[in-house]
Amino acid sequence: MSRRAVILLIVAIAIAAAIAWHTIRRGDHVVVVYVSEDQVFSEPVLKDFERDTGIVVRAVYDTEETKSAGVMNRLIAEKSNPQADVYWANEPIRAEVLRTSGVAAPYRSPSAEGIPDRFRDPQGYWTGFSARARMLIVSKGARNKPASILAYTDPRFRGKAAIANPLFGTTTAHVAALFALWGDERGNAFLEAMRKNDVKIVSSNGESADQVAAGSFQFALADSDDVYSRQKQGGSVEGIYPDQEPNGIGCFIVPNAVVLVNGGPHPEAGKKLIDYLLSRETEKKLAYSDAAQIPLHDGVETPPSVGRLDTLKIMNVSYAQVAAKMQAIQPRLKDWVGH
Amino acid sequence: MVVFALAVVGLLPLLAMLYKSVFADGRWTLSVYEHVFSNPAQYWPPVRNSLTLAALTAVCALLLGVPLGLLLAKTDVPLRRPLMVTLCAPLLLPPYILAICWFNLMSRSAWWGTDNLSQSGLAPSIWLFGLPGCLLVLAGALTPAVIILTVVYLHAVNPRHEEAGRLVTGWRGVLTKITLPIISRGILFAGLLVFLLALGEVGVPMFLRYPVFPVETLTQFSAFYDFGAAAAAATPLLGVTLLLLVGERLYLRDKTYELLATAPGRKILVIPLGRWRVPAALAAILFAVITVVLPLVSLVVSSLSPFAYAEALNKAAGSIGRSILFAGVGATVLTLLGFLSGYLIQYRALAVWRVVDTLTLLLFTLPGTVIGIALIALWNRPGIGWIYASTAMVIFAYVAQYTALASRITVASLGNVPRSLEEAAQMAGAPWHARVLHIIVPAALPGVIAAWMVGFIFCMRDLGASMVVYPAGQETLPVRIFTLMANGAPSLVSALCVVLVVVTVIALGAFRMLLQSAGHRR
Repeated sequence: MSRRAVILLIVAIAIAAAIAWHTIRRGDHVVVVYVSEDQVFSEPVLKDFERDTGIVVRAVYDTEETKSAGVMNRLIAEKSNPQADVYWANEPIRAEVLRTSGVAAPYRSPSAEGIPDRFRDPQGYWTGFSARARMLIVSKGARNKPASILAYTDPRFRGKAAIANPLFGTTTAHVAALFALWGDERGNAFLEAMRKNDVKIVSSNGESADQVAAGSFQFALADSDDVYSRQKQGGSVEGIYPDQEPNGIGCFIVPNAVVLVNGGPHPEAGKKLIDYLLSRETEKKLAYSDAAQIPLHDGVETPPSVGRLDTLKIMNVSYAQVAAKMQAIQPRLKDWVGH
Repeated sequence: MVVFALAVVGLLPLLAMLYKSVFADGRWTLSVYEHVFSNPAQYWPPVRNSLTLAALTAVCALLLGVPLGLLLAKTDVPLRRPLMVTLCAPLLLPPYILAICWFNLMSRSAWWGTDNLSQSGLAPSIWLFGLPGCLLVLAGALTPAVIILTVVYLHAVNPRHEEAGRLVTGWRGVLTKITLPIISRGILFAGLLVFLLALGEVGVPMFLRYPVFPVETLTQFSAFYDFGAAAAAATPLLGVTLLLLVGERLYLRDKTYELLATAPGRKILVIPLGRWRVPAALAAILFAVITVVLPLVSLVVSSLSPFAYAEALNKAAGSIGRSILFAGVGATVLTLLGFLSGYLIQYRALAVWRVVDTLTLLLFTLPGTVIGIALIALWNRPGIGWIYASTAMVIFAYVAQYTALASRITVASLGNVPRSLEEAAQMAGAPWHARVLHIIVPAALPGVIAAWMVGFIFCMRDLGASMVVYPAGQETLPVRIFTLMANGAPSLVSALCVVLVVVTVIALGAFRMLLQSAGHRR
């Protein structure tokens, strides 16, 4: 064998060894987590977990901004041979879908003590923590300020409001929650009235917040972290918790949800991560982070910009109901969006 | 080996996905197909939009790319090399990043200020969203492919034909009656390639909110989590792609290969532009500034914040290293497989190798997410889970998607190697591997190097397939950019995009310097 061939062989072996080292470095001190919460918010928490416990976190991050096939598809596709230990969902509806499709395993974390029952699955298949609120992001220059999601059907806002594509993300859950609360007839009438009022559909909550901040629309529904981040970026916007009047339907709250994956390769490390995520300390971190999320534990310290559960009127729906309704109304939403 | 590799990373995963769509609970059923296609009113508009976008993109790319290719390859226009490099720069970026560049450039908050235009009702961002914006971005992203192919095919034209033509007519007549007709099938192939790539594009239409058919497929994946329905929804696209590829194989492929095979690196005849040299250069520069420089400058400008680059390097150092490693390994594997595939296509006239060629092109034109999901369907099984959990899946995805590039480049370069060289070595008793290693590879080395570099570029920018199959904690730089786009600071995202371009250019430069120093030592 020539000298050149030997060098090439060594290089090839070195590359293969590097890849193998990257891959095979697995063991008990590893936890694999699939994350639908935005990476900018979730990664620092997972880094802190690594630092505090010595357990290496291997994460797969998702984004709803551009509707990738995403980690939910990976979890379902991998069901027969799970690769993940934990799923950090950015809303409980996906966790419900995983429960019904057999991907989730029950786990009652001691850290969940104190989290209201409405934010937990009764059998422990998922547990909620640190929530976002669905808010109206409103342009400061708007002459009329909406106070309810019914403003979408108000002729004063004709052509001046936007909503994220309801086939994806938290907007799907929000619309499903309205259907669950009002019933199909009123839900359909609301969608129809929105269409007639020339509500524009944009690709995501982030984009609808951007469009309002840019002055293209007077208001849109968005998540509280979208509102906070646009305010922090200097956008001329304000956030309004909708439907807070005494007879109002209340604000839809979207907690994160954590799920233990059924048959995951590192269940013990997975449980430790779940305990960590559900702790008061994590809720405090997420409240003080740019995510500005609302703690579900009572009495967790928060900055003034973050709302508190006890001061908000919350929409009274169960997430299991919302998940079931979400599946049922998908064809209607698809039709409404015009795909 | 080639057939086996393409089967396990390309064909079998697709078949596994289709199998899942027609078997539910162990029973044969077409229910998902009936469900997906039961409402033509929902189904046809995105199909129509997809075909419209793909056709318009192909026409625009041809109308822009062929004249630019002619200008840069056949004329004495000044600044040819820098213009060529600038015009082809969009190839370094995933198309969705170009969409972000244009959005940065045209939004109301753009650095050059579009508020005045907005007040007069001419807000550029209004028409960016929809068909015009998608067309602008995709034509910008894919025109470089037409320019490059036009330049390559122009180098294949025998100058004697043109010299003969010049005896009886001017350059206009030579171009329209000799040069362009000779390369017309090559141009048609370039148009077909652009059409198919635009047809399968997901990121740009999604970002710019134009409902196309691949989005329908992704909707099934992302909103309904229904793999069977997703596979069913993908079939019309698969059908159109297959139909066009069969047409290409029957009508174009051999002709385009024959065209390249007759190009022994001969000197190209140059058209003197005379007094049109400067105006032509100015027109090309203006075009490059508008379509490439401005969007890229907007990216750089939006990345200019005090800590963006420090944060980008801090957050993505691992991803940068992995991207270079994976792209390097991917490009090497692609070059090897592409070479073997090209060798079989060029030197072994069996029909099966032509089928392999069509398969590689089919995989190249499929959306990356479809390939990713198909790979999961085949590879995530008990017993071989260690392969699935490894970075090998990313390499598999690269191989499935990009072998066509390496294969076609190899075929083109092998066409310039006289068969007699290998036959003489065979007569002298040299075994096959010795003939390939010592005669064919050195003779086709420029093509092999080009295949590696093109493979590296496409692996570096890959998003669709690698996003779906990358192992936990092993994300590449494009994936990192994509996931940080959700609520990440725009300056950080822009800085990472700039880093992606710079890293690709540096890696390619280093590879070229390595080759040059190796050449000097020899």
